Amino acid sequence: MFKKSHPLQSKSEIILRNIVVIAMVIFFTVFLIIPIGIAFVGSFHEWNPLSGTYNFLGLKNYINVFSSELFWTSMLNTLIFSVVVIIFRVCLGLAIAYAIYSSIVKYKSFFRAVYYMPVVTPMVAVAFVWKFMYNPQLGTINQLLGLDINWLMNPKTALLAVMIMTIWKDFGYAVVMYMAGLYSLPTDALEAAKVDGASAWQTFRYITLPLLKPMTLFVIITSIISYIQAYVQILIMTEGGPGTTTYLASYIIYDEAFVKYNFGYASALSFVLFVITAVFTWLSFRVSGTKE
Amino acid sequence: MKRKINSIILNVVLILVGIITVYPFVWMVCSSFKQNSEIMALEQHLLPQVFTIDNYINMNERFNFLRFFANSLFVTIAITILVAYTSTICGFVLSKYKFKGRNLLFGFVLATMMIPWCVTIIPKYTMIQEFGWMDSYKALIIPAMFSGFGIFNMKQHIATLPDEILEAARIDGANEYYIFHRIVLPMAKNGIFSIAIFQFLWSWEDYLWPYLVINTKEKQLLAVGLKMFNGQYSTDYGALFAATAISIIPVLVIYLIFQKQFIAGIAASAVKG
Repeated sequence: MFKKSHPLQSKSEIILRNIVVIAMVIFFTVFLIIPIGIAFVGSFHEWNPLSGTYNFLGLKNYINVFSSELFWTSMLNTLIFSVVVIIFRVCLGLAIAYAIYSSIVKYKSFFRAVYYMPVVTPMVAVAFVWKFMYNPQLGTINQLLGLDINWLMNPKTALLAVMIMTIWKDFGYAVVMYMAGLYSLPTDALEAAKVDGASAWQTFRYITLPLLKPMTLFVIITSIISYIQAYVQILIMTEGGPGTTTYLASYIIYDEAFVKYNFGYASALSFVLFVITAVFTWLSFRVSGTKE
Repeated sequence: MKRKINSIILNVVLILVGIITVYPFVWMVCSSFKQNSEIMALEQHLLPQVFTIDNYINMNERFNFLRFFANSLFVTIAITILVAYTSTICGFVLSKYKFKGRNLLFGFVLATMMIPWCVTIIPKYTMIQEFGWMDSYKALIIPAMFSGFGIFNMKQHIATLPDEILEAARIDGANEYYIFHRIVLPMAKNGIFSIAIFQFLWSWEDYLWPYLVINTKEKQLLAVGLKMFNGQYSTDYGALFAATAISIIPVLVIYLIFQKQFIAGIAASAVKG
């Protein structure tokens, strides 16, 4: 610490550093900062590339967003969707990871690999698989369960169906995260509990669970951020229908921007979501800050 | 005794969850080898009663599906190699060089990961039109060349490599290009590996961006092709199953081969972060 590792910078170091830093700055400026600026300015305009309009509107787009019934419907849907999926993701992930962790199970890494499989498969393809599985005529779900439900066409079941599929796709991520968390727990605390004669449940409830709290928060926050941005499963499976029962926040942006070409309105909407995401990101920083 | 019963129950539950996890894939692949009459039949079996590969042949003849597959493979591999390289070199500079503004730059890289896709996609789309890159793979590859996630992870990874080795090479007269390509790159192999797998999967499944910037059908990628195919042949279920199976299988193969490195990669980043 008292001596700099190499105070004399060579010529090649300066050149390499400059090339890399300049390339990075140019790239992120062109493909990130400038687009954010354009979107921000655009969100105050009536902006439609098809009709070629670009007129200043002031706050009109934002007012329209907050007075739109569809926006609030989609926010409610996103809330229901996120809460249900996250609860299942966390509980299933924790339960399964703990079951694998608690040493009586053989083939730990095999189980982990199997549960993680849906996480890596492309969402478009997986959404199609489930769309076929939900099909009332040839789908395997009605066949297996002996039901007669038109899952994706019934306003009562459509969002549920998409949620089930998302839980199936994503719970493996929580399993892997919790397993990583469990295997990095301090063993002395667990040993001490055993010596003191704590039951398995007591150990789990009063030692393991509190120690896993940072991981739980990490899983919850990354999930919130990713579900605010979820749209592919909606696009493939329901296109927001029946009615508006499966409109999620990000799906409206897709719909407004690239189906209706209301770029200005879609930009305003995306900034609203940006702020919501930023709030949760800030929360995640606060949470990881308290950990240290 | 009690422990044994517990163990059996636990294993049975885990196996059941495993079956539910795998079942959709198995059903999909089995269905893709069935004839349409069997798929639509009232009496359903998991395994095809009459095994046929016609679905795969039909799907490709009607829609040139293998072309999409090859396009996706080309674009995905190009992006993966570029991102692996840029992430490593940026990670090297950010972790091993000391210079003014380094922390600012790194904070900025971190911030890029928090931006939702929806904020930048409209302006990026209009910019690509102005650059004249529409309908070319430049539009897919160039805006994906650097990855905040990749740089962040490689910076963390390379920071753990010992400075002494780099110092020794410098004393021996090696220049920085040599040090990066011959020393850092091989030593950061595991980190590069997990970044590459992540990037491969993300690029392979990306739907919206190729859908927006590629107009010629022959140039289109697999995820978009799959949706177009479903729109056009929505009644030929056998071919739909085959097409879906084709777009899932390569990813599963890559995952199953590399799953150890892959899972170690995500787990490590979570425990550290």
